[in-house]
Amino acid sequence: MTMKFNRRSMLRGVLGGAAVGVGLPALDAFLNGNGTAWADGAKFADRFGTYFWGLGLTDTPAGGTRWVPKTIGSGYEITPELESIADLKNKVSVFSGFRVIGDGKPNVVHWSGHAAILSGVAPAKSNVMDGPSFDTRVADVLGATTRFKAVDLSASGDVSANYSTRTGHSFATPETTPLALYTRLFGEGFQDPNDPNWRPNPEIMLRQSILSVVSEQRRSLNASLGHADQVKLDQYFTSLREIENQLAIQLERPEACEACVIPDAPEDTGVGLTVDVVEQNCITMARLLAMGLACNQTNVFNMVHTPGFSTTYVRGETKTYHQTTHDEPTDAKLGYQPKSSELAGIVMRSFGAFLKQLDAIPEGDGTLLDHTLVMGFSDTGYAKIHSIENIPVFLAGGANGRHKAGQHIAGKGDAITRLSLTAQQLAGVSIGEFGQGAMKTSRPISEVMA
Amino acid sequence: MKVRVGAAATVALASLTAVACSLQAGQQASVAPDPPETALVSDPEAEVRYVDPGYAAFGDQHLTTVGVRRLTESQYRNTIADVFGPDITINARFEPERREDGLQAIGNVRLSVSTTGLEQYFSVARSIADQVMADERRERIIGCQPASVDDRACAESFIKSRGMHLFSRPLTDGEIDARLAIWSEGAQQKGDFHEGLKLALVSLLVDPEFLFRKEYAEADPADPDAHRMSGYTKAARLSFMLWDTAPDAELLEAAQSGAIHSSEGLAGQVDRLLASDRLEQGARAFFTDMLHFDKYETLTKDPGTYPKFSQAVADSSREETLRFLVDHLIAQDRDYRDIFTSRDTILNRSLAAVYQIPYPSTEDWARYTFPEDSDRSGVLTQVSFLSLFSHPASSSPTVRGVKLHEIFMCLPTPEPPADVDFSKVQALENGTVRERLDHMTNPGCNTCHAISDPAGLSLEHFDGLGQTRRLENGQPIDVSAKIGDLEFSGAPGLGQYLRGSPLVTSCIVRNVHYYGAGRPFDYKDAAYLAEKGEAFASGGYRMTELYRSILTDPDFYQVIIPDGAGPDDGDAQALSDKPATTGAGQ
Amino acid sequence: MRRTLRQVSCAAALALGGAGVAHAEWSRTYVVEWYEAAMYYGADEGVIDPGTDCPAGTNGEPDWTKVMLEAGYSAQETRWLLDPTHPFRPEGHSTSGQNQMAFRGKDRANVYSQPWLAPDPVLTGVSGSIGEGFDLDGDPDNGFTSPDGSMSGIDNQFYRTLGCWLTYRGPHRQSQHALSKNDEMREGAWTVAIVVSGEGDDPLNDDNVRIGFYNSEDALVKDGNGDIARDYTFVIAPDQRFEAIFDARTVNGVIETTRPADEVWLREASYVRELQLLEAQVRLEMKPDGTLSGHVGGYRPWFDIYKGWIDARGAVIEKLTWIELPGVYYALERNADFSPDGAGGEKTHISFAMRLDAAPAFVMTPGAAELATEVVSYKSIAPPPGKRHRAIPGPLGDRVVDGIVLTKDGVLLGGPEAEIPPPEAESQIASLRE
Repeated sequence: MTMKFNRRSMLRGVLGGAAVGVGLPALDAFLNGNGTAWADGAKFADRFGTYFWGLGLTDTPAGGTRWVPKTIGSGYEITPELESIADLKNKVSVFSGFRVIGDGKPNVVHWSGHAAILSGVAPAKSNVMDGPSFDTRVADVLGATTRFKAVDLSASGDVSANYSTRTGHSFATPETTPLALYTRLFGEGFQDPNDPNWRPNPEIMLRQSILSVVSEQRRSLNASLGHADQVKLDQYFTSLREIENQLAIQLERPEACEACVIPDAPEDTGVGLTVDVVEQNCITMARLLAMGLACNQTNVFNMVHTPGFSTTYVRGETKTYHQTTHDEPTDAKLGYQPKSSELAGIVMRSFGAFLKQLDAIPEGDGTLLDHTLVMGFSDTGYAKIHSIENIPVFLAGGANGRHKAGQHIAGKGDAITRLSLTAQQLAGVSIGEFGQGAMKTSRPISEVMA
Repeated sequence: MKVRVGAAATVALASLTAVACSLQAGQQASVAPDPPETALVSDPEAEVRYVDPGYAAFGDQHLTTVGVRRLTESQYRNTIADVFGPDITINARFEPERREDGLQAIGNVRLSVSTTGLEQYFSVARSIADQVMADERRERIIGCQPASVDDRACAESFIKSRGMHLFSRPLTDGEIDARLAIWSEGAQQKGDFHEGLKLALVSLLVDPEFLFRKEYAEADPADPDAHRMSGYTKAARLSFMLWDTAPDAELLEAAQSGAIHSSEGLAGQVDRLLASDRLEQGARAFFTDMLHFDKYETLTKDPGTYPKFSQAVADSSREETLRFLVDHLIAQDRDYRDIFTSRDTILNRSLAAVYQIPYPSTEDWARYTFPEDSDRSGVLTQVSFLSLFSHPASSSPTVRGVKLHEIFMCLPTPEPPADVDFSKVQALENGTVRERLDHMTNPGCNTCHAISDPAGLSLEHFDGLGQTRRLENGQPIDVSAKIGDLEFSGAPGLGQYLRGSPLVTSCIVRNVHYYGAGRPFDYKDAAYLAEKGEAFASGGYRMTELYRSILTDPDFYQVIIPDGAGPDDGDAQALSDKPATTGAGQ
Repeated sequence: MRRTLRQVSCAAALALGGAGVAHAEWSRTYVVEWYEAAMYYGADEGVIDPGTDCPAGTNGEPDWTKVMLEAGYSAQETRWLLDPTHPFRPEGHSTSGQNQMAFRGKDRANVYSQPWLAPDPVLTGVSGSIGEGFDLDGDPDNGFTSPDGSMSGIDNQFYRTLGCWLTYRGPHRQSQHALSKNDEMREGAWTVAIVVSGEGDDPLNDDNVRIGFYNSEDALVKDGNGDIARDYTFVIAPDQRFEAIFDARTVNGVIETTRPADEVWLREASYVRELQLLEAQVRLEMKPDGTLSGHVGGYRPWFDIYKGWIDARGAVIEKLTWIELPGVYYALERNADFSPDGAGGEKTHISFAMRLDAAPAFVMTPGAAELATEVVSYKSIAPPPGKRHRAIPGPLGDRVVDGIVLTKDGVLLGGPEAEIPPPEAESQIASLRE
C-alpha cells in the first residue's frame, strides 16, 4: 500500500477551510498487526451504505436556513429540518457548505449533485455518470465475503431510482418493495448463519457449473469487438463472476451471527408515491436491511428514498413536492418557503427512522449502526433554484470506531468530493484521492476521523 | 460437429427425430445425403419446419461484432414463448431500460447486465428450464425420446435446435460441446437425462449470446476488403423489428442459405413478416418505446383531484392507444398523419367513464368515434398522453408541449436552466395556467417555453387525467395558440398543425430507422432519411410501406465497424485476456 | 346525468350509429351507490349516544347468562355454552354465537324458527317523534314528523320498532348494518341503475316524470377515494322481478311519486337483498352536483325481516348485534300496520322507508343498444327468474337451517337433547386447538 501524500496537497489542505487529513489511507492507520481486526478488538464487519433523498433541505439565499446549525464542531444544535436525527445526534455528523464544482460543465438539474458526489466528476448529461459510483469500490472491498456484494433499495417504488454504477451507464436495479427486499435477503438461497445443521447445498455446485460453462465460452466465437461493446460484455462477465463468488460463499459454512434473527416476511405493499407510503416502505426496508446486515447477507447498501424529480406528494395536496419547491414563493418574513420546508422535514423523518432501525440491533457492546457508516446526501442545496451549492450531507454511524460522529463541519465552498473521500476512508477503502478536475481531492475531513 | 448441406426442406417431426438422434456424438457428418433437420418449433400445433443448422457456416470465419444490444423485456418474453411455448410463465423483474435520442432502442445499446440483473436472469432461466423439462411438456419440446440417461444424440439435437433459436444463429462447436459436458455432468450426477438437460438449457439462457442481440459482420464475398452484415443478423433485425421476437425458422433458413442477401430474398421475407398477424406485436413494441410508455411504471394521480384514476384506468389507457395505433396504422393501413386528427378510438368501460361517455358495448373493448364538438383529436387527446405528461394533481402545458415535440417531432427540449426563479409563478389556486405561465418573463425560459407552451396550452381543455373541462378555477380556459406565424385553437387545431408538419413525418421515419438499427441519430444519415421520407410521402404515409422501404434498403444493413473492432486490431482486442473489471469503468 | 336528451341523443347517434325514437324530452341516469333503512338518529354526535330517538342510547347487550338461566340451563351449562372457545359450532363458523343458543324456548325449542315458544323479551323501540319516510296512510295525525318539520303523519313503524337496535342505529351512512351491507354491493354483489325521464321543458319542475329502477349485471366501480366512481356505464339487464317504475313529478328538482305503486320489488342492502314494497313511493332530489338522494318507502312484509335475520345465522346475529331475536319477532308483529287485504285483514306488512343515494352514470338499454332515455318496462324480454338471493350467499348459506349452521356433512351440532358439555367435547376442543 502506498501513501498518497505530498507536500503540495498538505499545503492546500492547510490553506483551505476545514482542517485537513493528509490523505493517509485508513487501513494502515487502524488495522492491527495482521490486518484482520481493528485495533480496538472489534470483530464486526464493516458496513457501508448510501442514503439518498431528493430536493435537498432548506437554506435560502435570503438567509432563511432551516437545517444548517449555527455551531461548528461537536454539540451542534438541532435545527427544524434536523429534528428527526435529534435522538441520534451523537452518531451523526452534519456537513454544510460543500459544493459541486462543474469545471464549466452545465448544472444538469437533479443529477449533477449526486452524480458528482458518487463519481467524483460533474456529469456532462443527465442519467449518465462519467465514471463509476464510489459505492461500487466500497462494495468490492467490503462485499467479498457476503452473499451479496451490495443491496440496492428504492423506497418510492421507482425502479430507475438508483445511482450505483460501475460503468456510468448501467445502473443497479433496486428492490422496490419490502417484500422484494425480503425475498432477496431471506428467500431462496438464504442460509441461516446460526443453523447448527448447516451443510453445503449440492444444487449450488451445479449452479456454479452452469455459470462456468458461460464464462468459459467467452472466447468461443471468433469475433472481434469494439471498445464500447467490450465494456458492456466486461460488465456482464463482472456480474457473472460476482454471482460465482456468491455461490462460492454459499458453499462455505457461514459464520454464526449473534444478532441475526430471521424476520417475518412483510406484507406485499403496493407502490405509492405519497410521502407516508414511501416513509413506511423506507422504514420496513430499513428493518429488513438491518437484519440482512446483521445476518451477513451483505455489507453494502444503497437506499434511494426519493429521486429529485420524484412525483412524491403529500396525500391530499394538489402539488408534488418537486413542484412545490419550484413554485412556492419565499415567505418574505420567514425568508424561506414554509411548505417546502415542512415537506423537507417530512422527508427527513424517513432518514431518522432509517438510522434508528440500524441502531435498534445490538451487536457486541454497541449497535449495528456503530459498525456501519451511512452517507446521507441529496441532489441539491436550495431546490427552488436547483442549487448545487451547500448540498446537505450526513455521515452517520460509528464505522467501527473510526468515525468521530456528532459534529457539524462547515465546508465554506469546498469540493463536495472531500466528503466522498472521507466516507470511503471511513468505510475502510484504501484510497488516497478521489475525483477529477477541480473536484479532485486528497483531503478527507480529518476532524471526523478518529 | 460440422454439417454441410444444401437447401433446407420441410419434413415431418417424426423423421427429424430419427435423423437428429441418429447422429452420434462427435461424429463428423460431412455432407448429409438428405436434408438434415433440426426442429425449430414455435407453435407445437403448427406445421413444423426444419432448418439446416449450418454449423460450419458459423464461427468458421472471422466475424466482427458491430452491435451489442441488450434484449428488451418484451423481446425476451416473446422469444421464450416462441421457442418453448406460450404457456411458460416468466415471473421476473427486468432491469430498467434507458432512453437516448428519444428511444429506448437506442439507449439500450449502451446497457449491460448488472449483478442484480444477472441474478434475475439466472433465476428465471432455472424456472424456465424447470417448466420446459416438466413431464407434460418435455417430450413435445425436446423433440426426441431419450433412449437412456446418456442419450447424447437426443441431448445434442435439443441443444442445437433450441440454442440456434435462442442465439439467432447456429451454435459453434465449442458452445455445443460445453453444453453437452454440463448435460452429461448433471445427468450422471442425478441419474436423470432431463435434469442434465435443464443445466444445459439454463446455461444457454444466461449466455450473453442470448441476453444480448449481438450483430455480426462478415467479409463480403463480392468484395474481400469490405464487410457485409451477417445473414443471421439481418434475419434478427427483421424479426425483432417487425415481430419483436427472435427469428423464426424461415428467417433462419433464409439466413443460412444466403437467400436473405439477395434483394428478392430479402423482399420476400419482409413481405412475409409484414403480412403476418405478428406485425401487431412488433408495432406495439415500437410504439411502447416511442411513446415513452415505460413511464406507466410510475404513473400516479392524486385521488383527491382525480378520483377516477386507478391502475385499471392506467392499464386501459395504455392499451387504448396501442390498439388505436395498431388498428389505424396496421390493420387499416391508414395515413400516419391521421393519428393526430382522428376522432376514432378503441376503448373500454373504464376509459368511457374517464371520457365521460356511455360505453356502447357489452364486450370488453369497443370502437368509438368522438362527436365532432368533443375537442378530441387523435393520439394527443387520448388519456395515455394527457395523463402521462401531467402532474399527479394538475395538468402541465409545459410537460405536454415538451413531450409532444420530443416524441412526435424529434425535437428535444434542453434542460431548464438551473438557476431559474419560479417566484413569479402564482399559486395553483388562482386563474388559469396560461395566466400563470405568462409571468415567465425570464428570457432564459422564454426561448424554450415559447415553443413548448403554446402547444401544451392548446390541450388545456383536458385536465391532468385527460377529462374534458372548460373552466379552471371558475375561469374559461383559452386554448388558442400561436406557433411561429401559425395560429390555431384547441386540440383539433393542434392536431391539424401536427398533421401538416414535415417534422412529424420525418420524425417517424427517423424513429423507425433507428429503432431497427439501434444506434443514435447521425447527421451523415440525413440524405438517406430524407429519401425515406419522400418514399413515405409518396406511399401515402403508410407505416407498412415505411417498414418495407427501410427494411428492403441495403443501407439499413450497412455495417459500421466500431472503434477497436477493426479487421486488424479486432482479434487482439477480443482475445486479450485482460481482466474484465478493467474494462468495466473501474 | 346532467344532460338533456338532445345532447345525449346527439352523442348517442354518433357513438351508437343511431338513437332510438324518444318520447321523453329529458332524461337523467344514475346508479344506486347506497341504501340504508331511514333510521333518524336523534343524538347530536357519536353513533350510539342517547338522543331524542332513543333516550337511553342504543340498546345494550343482553345479559346472556340471565337469558340462558331463564331458559332452563344450569349455571354450569350456561358458563360452558357462553365460553367462546367451546364447540357446538360448525367448522368455519367460529367468530361468535353457537347453535345451542337457539334451543332456549319451551322444552328447549328452537326460538329462531319458533319464536312464539320463547317469552317476549320486549325490545326497546324508538320513543321520539321525529322520523323519516312517507305518510303512507294519508293520515297526518298518525306518525312521525320529518326532521325539518315540514311533514307530519310519516308512517315508519319499522323505524319505531328497530331504531334503537345497535345494527341499525347511527348517523347517515354510519350504522353498522349499512356500512357492511352496502360494501357488498359496492364490491359488485348487485347493481341497480336508475333512469328518470320527463316530458316537460324544465327537468326540475315537470308534472310528467317517470322513474325506473332496473337490474344491471355491470358491477359498481370504486374510485381512488373508495367512493363509487361516476360516469361508468351500466347496461340494463331485464329482470322479471327487479324492476320498479313510478309515475312522478319534479318540484324544484325533487322527484315525488304522483301515485303510489301497488307493488314493486327493489333491492335492499341487507342479508336479504330483495324487498317487496306495497303502496310504494319515492322522494328523491336531483342534486346540483349530479347525484340523486332521498327516500323510497312503502309497506314491507314484516315476517321476512325477521326471517332474514334468522337466516343470517341467528346465534351470530344475536351476539354481534346485541339482540334477542324473539324480541324482534314480537315487536314487529306488535307494530305491523298494514294488511294487503284491507283494514280488517291480518297485518302482514309494516311501514318502512329507506334512504337511497345514487351517483351519476350512463345507463344503456338491454344489449347496450342505446342510451336509456325513457322509462319503460323490459319485463317482457326478461329471462325466467333465477335463484333468489339468500341471506348468506355461497356455500354457507345452504347450510343454514332454522337459523343454525350445519356442518359440511349436514350434521347439527347441539340440539334440544344435547348433553352439555357434549361427551365429544374434549376431542372437539383438542381438534379446534390444533
